[in-house]
Amino acid sequence: MKAFDYVEPSTLAEAVAALAKGGGRERIVALAGGQDLLSEMQDHLVEPGTVVSLNRIDGLAHVRSDAGGLSVGARASLAEVARDEGVRTGWTALAEAAASVGSPQIRSQATVGGNLCQRPRCIYYRNEHALCLKKGGQECFAEGGLNHANAILGGGPSFIVHPSDLAPALVALDATVRITGPEGGRVEVLEGLFTLPSEGEVTRETSLEPGELITSVEVPAPAAGVRSTYLKFQERASFDFALSSVALALGVVEGRINHARICLGGVAPVPWRCERTEQLLVGEAPGEELFARAALDALEEAEPLEHNGYKVPLTQGLLRKALRSLT
Amino acid sequence: MASPRRDGPVWKPRAENQLLAHDLPRVDGPLKVSGRARYSHDVRLPGMLYGRLVCCPVPCAEVAVDLAGALKLPGVEAAVVVHEGTTRTVGQVVAAVAARTVEEAEDGARAVRLSIEELPWAVDREQALAPQAPAVTRRGNRRERGEDGDAEAVARALAESHAVVEATYSLPVQHHVCLETHGCVCDYRGGDEATIYASTQATFGIARDAARVLDIPARNVRTIVHHMGGGFGSKFSLDIHGRVACMLSKECSRPVHLLVDRSTEFHTGGNRSGSRQHLRGGVSAEGELTALEAEAEMFGGVGGGAVARMPYIYSVGRVHARRASVHTHTDSSRAMRAPGHPQASFAMESLVDELATAGGFDQVEFRKRNLADPVYHRQLDRVALEIGWPGHPHRSAPGDAEGIEAVGIGFGVSVWGGGGSADACECEVRIERDGGVTSSMGSQDLGTGVRTYLAAIVAEELGLELSAVEARLGDNRLPKANASGGSVTTGSAAPAIKDAAHEARVAFAEHLAEVLGVDTGSVTFDGGVVRAGKETLSWSAACETLPDEGLRARGVWREHLQASGVHGAQAARVRVDLETGRVRVEKMVCVQDQGLPLNRLALRSQINGGMIQALSYALLEERLIDPDLGLLLSDNLEDYKIAGSLEIPELVAIIDDDDERAAPIGMAEAVVIPGAAAIANAIHNACGVRLRHLPLTPTKVLEGLAARARGEEVR
Repeated sequence: MKAFDYVEPSTLAEAVAALAKGGGRERIVALAGGQDLLSEMQDHLVEPGTVVSLNRIDGLAHVRSDAGGLSVGARASLAEVARDEGVRTGWTALAEAAASVGSPQIRSQATVGGNLCQRPRCIYYRNEHALCLKKGGQECFAEGGLNHANAILGGGPSFIVHPSDLAPALVALDATVRITGPEGGRVEVLEGLFTLPSEGEVTRETSLEPGELITSVEVPAPAAGVRSTYLKFQERASFDFALSSVALALGVVEGRINHARICLGGVAPVPWRCERTEQLLVGEAPGEELFARAALDALEEAEPLEHNGYKVPLTQGLLRKALRSLT
Repeated sequence: MASPRRDGPVWKPRAENQLLAHDLPRVDGPLKVSGRARYSHDVRLPGMLYGRLVCCPVPCAEVAVDLAGALKLPGVEAAVVVHEGTTRTVGQVVAAVAARTVEEAEDGARAVRLSIEELPWAVDREQALAPQAPAVTRRGNRRERGEDGDAEAVARALAESHAVVEATYSLPVQHHVCLETHGCVCDYRGGDEATIYASTQATFGIARDAARVLDIPARNVRTIVHHMGGGFGSKFSLDIHGRVACMLSKECSRPVHLLVDRSTEFHTGGNRSGSRQHLRGGVSAEGELTALEAEAEMFGGVGGGAVARMPYIYSVGRVHARRASVHTHTDSSRAMRAPGHPQASFAMESLVDELATAGGFDQVEFRKRNLADPVYHRQLDRVALEIGWPGHPHRSAPGDAEGIEAVGIGFGVSVWGGGGSADACECEVRIERDGGVTSSMGSQDLGTGVRTYLAAIVAEELGLELSAVEARLGDNRLPKANASGGSVTTGSAAPAIKDAAHEARVAFAEHLAEVLGVDTGSVTFDGGVVRAGKETLSWSAACETLPDEGLRARGVWREHLQASGVHGAQAARVRVDLETGRVRVEKMVCVQDQGLPLNRLALRSQINGGMIQALSYALLEERLIDPDLGLLLSDNLEDYKIAGSLEIPELVAIIDDDDERAAPIGMAEAVVIPGAAAIANAIHNACGVRLRHLPLTPTKVLEGLAARARGEEVR
């Protein structure tokens, strides 16, 4: 492995300053739980000049909820989020998403911020010898290759899927993120953080600038009667990424749906919000006919590749199950 | 009264045993679960270096190797060229480096410069059989491997059949995925002696090759295999990994630890060949299999591959079968737990299932009708009862795929030889004056439980507790033993152990008779005490009468102490989610015979392991090679998926106690054979979707359900 400098700042300001030196030839990267970064370094996908550890900075690891909402520090572990009683009752989709990640060992080490910023799992991206678009090459090998796990929505020119489980759950829960960077702090709607390969730089998945860090995730309290769930479908039941997932927040009042948020995971290069389908649901009485219509609508724009057409009925099935489970 | 020695050893009836035919926790279990067992991978020696292999990332190329960059790096102590010129498999080993740490060795391996001139390659069937395909072997890319039977007779019989099914079945390449990767620690420090700590199935099989690489006499090479982490057929030789360890050790006269990383393991550790089988089978109105036309292609990379002969286990009126190897520029297939059998089983059992459905027959009755050996009849009835077949709604036609979920049941049967090899093993039993007993044989324990019965057979004979006998194995300085493969170990080793135990008992009885002045026939060993005439001695008191050197007895293989020929039947019950295609295997049942069950706990464990490995093969495992890039993309345990704990169903392992044969038989291979077919048949039984291509992924289930909804059939 290429030798690198390792720094452990004790304040956020120092960390931001250290990270902001990047942008030149030497990559400077942030280390929290390390679950993605270290494997990327071992596989020689990134060879940073400097690694900036965030693990000595106080105050980034809280999980705090009250009547006003939920605040989760970027360095909170997925295990803490998954077992927090407040999260489990108020923001169930988030707890379920956190519990679905990897293995117990990974969840105890991996962080919320790291999960949102993790890099794709595409088998071509992860192979050092395949110099694909995501690694600065000229071609997305998945587009015409072994693409059964790749995007059916929002793909092109890269066809990765966003691997995060937390992201779709948090988008469905209307989360925002606090970001700190060289220019100071900002707050961003989480959904807006992720960029399609056709929109932003194809070698990145978020709009975070060099030196910028997510410091916390803020989630509003759910409106009365709104419940949420995260359904993840993985080829292997343990230790696997989503082939498709559905995050759903749904409110039903007097037999009518009054609130709906749907966000799909594992099917697009970003967490895929289904606003039109949400509108289709609001005002209607729940039932199988409606669920079937919603499922068709949510996948209407899907453009499968050669080997991933199954993701359309699969995701439709997951959405119907999610709707059924919350009504 | 005849002397016991002249009678020779015989296995006692099962019920008379105190240890054998009981549940015996394996003697090395506590060491293994507590991490104290020292596997070959755990060996650490003074001055030891770590080796790493350099693999060519292109399937076929002209390669030149430059070691200079590696040798300049800190910590790198040796580097060798392994292969220059034409490479012909994805990830072929071309060079290697040894350094003080694993990390330095990895850096060193990356610093070896390869000049690669890519040559045209063929990594899949389509590329290999294309008109302009590059030749993988000198004899071409498709080689006929044999033809049996009469094609015309089959054609006539098919024409007269009540129903005919024609289908193509395929299975991907499967990896062994040994927990401990391939390789060894070669301890050579100059001079003319060496010790190899190997992860091998052949403790006695590697010394000569190691000696050749080290250029020292073979008799001076000691091999040690105290604990090894799985082989499944992939570790019979010193192998490229062990040869390179010896090359590096020779180069720098220091011990070299070379057990490969997981990616190299996937590239170079061998595999179970894939296959594609086109079958045409007929059935009579009465439910008899009338004819079978079978054409099999075997995908063993640069190796030949394997598919067992057709018809597989079932009786069929007329058969015509052909087999061919299709070669690709990929790692050679190797033996893997019942080589060729799961492939043949999947195709044959699927076809049998399809023919039963075509004729409207009960799946169990149909199988019994076409299985000549009555052992299968009782075994099928047993698994059918255990899995809930008698009350199952879809016994002669599949479920209708209405609703959200469907439950189905499927079946399969297995066969294996499992007899021992003549004169392959010897055993030495020692009884010391202090009461200690050792039972020694150089054989290796792959996890099958040899170590436990090496002690238990002796303890049984001497009337001792299991813990009173120490088993010694995994060392070519101990009495000889054969390689463990083909389930031959039990049939080869157990007779010699039994013979040595018998010899020790008789010799000890004769000694005590003489010392105590009683009849040899009056000396018995039971419950930790020795009775001689009217006297009763504790074991230690009896042993104190021995001379200083104690007592030694040697045992050899006795044909009558083993048998061969095993049978098994399996059933699987699955729940199919019709919305997502998820297949959840809820329960698997196996009934397996093996003659005398030496250790019932180990046998059930072996049966469970077979079912789990088959489930993993059925649902998850698939090697992924990009045909355009020539890259093995599934060279890790994220993308090459093996079953995890959440996939494991209720497993019911039943030892067939209706098998009354008195001697033990190996059975480990049989239990991996029919599981994949049983699961595929269960999926069809649940929802009418016939999946003919492993793995049985949600993708294929959903495609099948969509096709069924359209009234089509997926081929």
